[in-house]
Amino acid sequence: MSDPSSINGGAAVAMVGKDCVAIASDLRLGNQSLGVSNNFEKVFQFGDKTFLGLTGLASDVTTLSQVFRLKTNLYKLREERSIEPQTFANLVSSTLYEKRFGPYFIGPIVAGLDSKTDKPFICGFDLIGCIDFAKDFIVSGTASDQLYGMCESLYEPNLEPEDLFETISQALLNAVDRDALSGWGCVVYVITKDRVVKRVLRTRQD
Amino acid sequence: MSRTTVASEYSAEIQSTPIEHRFNPYSDNGGTVLGIAGKDFAVLAGDTRHVTGYNINSRYEPRVFDVGDNIVMTANGFAADGKALIDRFKNQIKWYKFNNGGKKLEMQSAARYIQQLLYGKRFFPYYVSTLIAGLDEEGRGAVYSYDPVGSYEREQCRAGGAAASLIMPFLDNQVNFKNQFIPGTDGKEKRPFEYLSLQEVIELVKDAFNSAAERHIHVGDGLEILIVTKDGVRTEYSPLKRD
Amino acid sequence: MNSIAKQYTQGNVNPVSREINDAMAELATPPQLGLAPTLQLPPISQPTDFLRAHTDDATNPDCKIKIAHGTTTLAFRFQGGIIVAVDSRATAGNWIASQTVNKVIRINPKLLGTMAGGAADCQYWETWLGSQCRLYELRNKERISVAAASKILSNLVYEYKGMGLSMGTMICGVTKKEGPTIFYVDSDGTRLKGDLFCVGSGQTFAYGVLDSDYKWDLTVEEALYLGKRSILAATHRDAYSGGSINLYHVSEEGWEYHGNYNVGDIFWDIKAKEHSFVNVET
Repeated sequence: MSDPSSINGGAAVAMVGKDCVAIASDLRLGNQSLGVSNNFEKVFQFGDKTFLGLTGLASDVTTLSQVFRLKTNLYKLREERSIEPQTFANLVSSTLYEKRFGPYFIGPIVAGLDSKTDKPFICGFDLIGCIDFAKDFIVSGTASDQLYGMCESLYEPNLEPEDLFETISQALLNAVDRDALSGWGCVVYVITKDRVVKRVLRTRQD
Repeated sequence: MSRTTVASEYSAEIQSTPIEHRFNPYSDNGGTVLGIAGKDFAVLAGDTRHVTGYNINSRYEPRVFDVGDNIVMTANGFAADGKALIDRFKNQIKWYKFNNGGKKLEMQSAARYIQQLLYGKRFFPYYVSTLIAGLDEEGRGAVYSYDPVGSYEREQCRAGGAAASLIMPFLDNQVNFKNQFIPGTDGKEKRPFEYLSLQEVIELVKDAFNSAAERHIHVGDGLEILIVTKDGVRTEYSPLKRD
Repeated sequence: MNSIAKQYTQGNVNPVSREINDAMAELATPPQLGLAPTLQLPPISQPTDFLRAHTDDATNPDCKIKIAHGTTTLAFRFQGGIIVAVDSRATAGNWIASQTVNKVIRINPKLLGTMAGGAADCQYWETWLGSQCRLYELRNKERISVAAASKILSNLVYEYKGMGLSMGTMICGVTKKEGPTIFYVDSDGTRLKGDLFCVGSGQTFAYGVLDSDYKWDLTVEEALYLGKRSILAATHRDAYSGGSINLYHVSEEGWEYHGNYNVGDIFWDIKAKEHSFVNVET
């Protein structure tokens, strides 16, 4: 149980809908069995419609989110536009591979809409930056088995934003309820062409 | 006195370079099983793939068995242990009948007896997750689930084996309506529990297994569902992904 | 001839000495151990090492056979009897195997046993204890004392000491001569009489709440609430506790079940009522 990626616990998931994407995570931060914080969001925004979900070792989650804040800010300064999901995915990949032989213990997922085409984009990574381009959904964290089961059975293509919200919420909620190290609240972002909606879900507190 | 024999030289050699021998009588033959209890029926389903490591030994090796007395049983995990357990239980049902004038073994007695079989090997466990399904004395569907050493519980539904962690949260959601609320109540009123029909349950089982087969390499090839009603045990087979 | 010789060589012609001899013989083979089933061992020199290698999560996280663990249970004595409260979660590693485990075993109408540690060990040996208590009743025409019942269990686990049994249990009950009594018995062989115990991975959290509000003079209603509230605190902070809370009250008349409370529901009710759990946003 001294596996770095399951000390703090946490889960995240992203899904593609019809002209929209959703990304969600739980809010727990623990020290093994002890719940420490119920306010630890694992979804970060790095562009107008570019989001990153980061699960794994909490110190690496915080560090990496700050590294990407720095890198995306510099990107914006130089390019005078915010970063695209595709571009950001490649940035994540190369940043992680720099630490090939002493990796960050994390499981990142990226979700967003392309600013030009409004096409949904999601992808996931292993801890050293290998990108997994998926058309439907991406899961990550200590409840990843449970999330795979939920997503694989609840997901259908081309869901409208409201239906996508319900689907991703049910997938995450029921998955974390079967994982001792995840839960303690959830947050869901639904990203559409003209807005980003954030909702905090009320969940079991055990 | 200091005469060295061949044997003693040999034993000295062993002591200087110890060879590690570890007794490992277990292996994992994959597969997943799932039981759901309905109002007046119960189902026990399992895929039919039998594996060791990355090898598929068989695409059709039944996992779920009719053990008699309207009880179906499965012991998933290490196939040899599973087989031994089920055979022992079948045999005991036979003896129970010989000794009690052909009396039917009730579900709760069967459940307790299996605990005894499993706990009897507490210090050399059967490496299996066991499920039985049938009807209780009032004719309602019943599913009992066990851990490898015999702790057991009656439940509405239970998934066991390789892809249990994929299927179980789905069952919580779709059978016990966990995290479901009545629309328009702002999450204040829970969706009340109601029994699913046999048709709904079978569709649910197929969905669960198709999903598991998609994401788990130890699950696939075929799905065999054993259905217990007051009229007896019926089997339904349907194919699963074979890759 | 032989029968005459026998009469004089055997020293039990005296009815008193015969009775003593019979009693000695009975003590030499304790009745409950005669009934203990034989458990099969692996055919190797170190069965305990074998078992640890295959089932112990702590020493070998990759072990194949996961035995269910993790719990919060409590029992305390007060003016109105005994309160027993437990959670209902079973975990195998980080996987939540069940949220509906019954961790109170009803040994007989006046005796309860709680369950922490190995689920199978507790379930099996406490139901076994139930049979032993019933046999005692039939043999002695009176109900067994809590002290005796708990000692049957502690002697049994002591026989298996070092073999890997894992249980931490409270035997709670009431008899005429003892009144309401709690015995803590664990698989090391410890057996303690006491007024207040919390057992399991969430015990420290439960003690925190229980100790701060506990008084001997609690009313039954207050005591039931305190038991429930202590387990709730533990389910909140301890990842391996949760599900629902089962409540019991043991009085002179025996135990009474006070219901099952889903943590997912009562957490919000209690939070709203007490204005507690301020770390959680509504």
